[in-house]
Amino acid sequence: MTRRDLLEGALTAPFGLAALAALGAAGKRPEVSLTIATDGDLLAFKPTELTCPAGVLVHLTFFHTGKYITQEHDWVLTVPGAADAVAQAALAAGEAGDYLPHADKRVLAATKMCNKGEHVSVDFIAPAPGDYPFICTYPGHAAFMHGILHVTPL
Amino acid sequence: MATSTSTARIALLLAGSLTLLAAQGAAAAEPRSPEQVHTALRILASVYADMESKLPDQQFDRLPHENMEFHEGAGAMRDAMQDEPADYQAKVLAALDKAVNASQNVADTSKTHDTAKVRAALDALAADMRALNGLFPEELRAEPGSVPAPQHKRPPPSH
Repeated sequence: MTRRDLLEGALTAPFGLAALAALGAAGKRPEVSLTIATDGDLLAFKPTELTCPAGVLVHLTFFHTGKYITQEHDWVLTVPGAADAVAQAALAAGEAGDYLPHADKRVLAATKMCNKGEHVSVDFIAPAPGDYPFICTYPGHAAFMHGILHVTPL
Repeated sequence: MATSTSTARIALLLAGSLTLLAAQGAAAAEPRSPEQVHTALRILASVYADMESKLPDQQFDRLPHENMEFHEGAGAMRDAMQDEPADYQAKVLAALDKAVNASQNVADTSKTHDTAKVRAALDALAADMRALNGLFPEELRAEPGSVPAPQHKRPPPSH
């Protein structure tokens, strides 16, 4: 199962079959582009809050704007209340697992790790309305690098 | 007699205060690139926070990696000093090198897996970082370990 398969499965469920059916009747699923970055070399996301409507196809691009420090970061969206547990599971996954618990249903979307000067992207279907935490799952970073995706009703 | 003694004391106190103020002013000189200096100090403070966070779970084996980041982060301060007068630059870089050596000591000490020794090495690093901070005006300083928490409109569901 690929990471995308996992995300499609995890994200479609909370959205609801009725809403999906409505979208299907109307045609193409609405799309939203979101951009987020590191705060330079600091252990912080910038901005720390993102917003999108439920059910849309989100194209998220994450820029690592660090200049000095060779440290990897990723952007991982989790179900509410699971950020700490996902960070622990990422640590257990280790370097071999790219510091991401791949089959973990608490992970709703995740970019690959990227280094300074690079950017990575992920597409996912926005879940049901609510506030979803996002973190960097590189060991130790989640304590500092976290934010909220506000999902609003469509 | 009493009056002249009091006057002498006041004069001494005034002279002392003025000397102290002058010394502080010289020590905390305004750099030519304050934003760069502030960013560099924040980067080092942030790496220190990451180092310190490894202690509760005794992740000693991660500390050499954080030390490498500290060495790289020091590059931000070296860049910030490029256009400074030679004597000021030398003073800052000497303090920076001292902090970098203290960071190396944290990495070396981490191999002992002795929490108390690593804690002491971290405290020594913090002291050297504070000395480095002391060379700049207060508004540019960044306390070791200080990483401003993200300002969410609502508290995150966890953390």
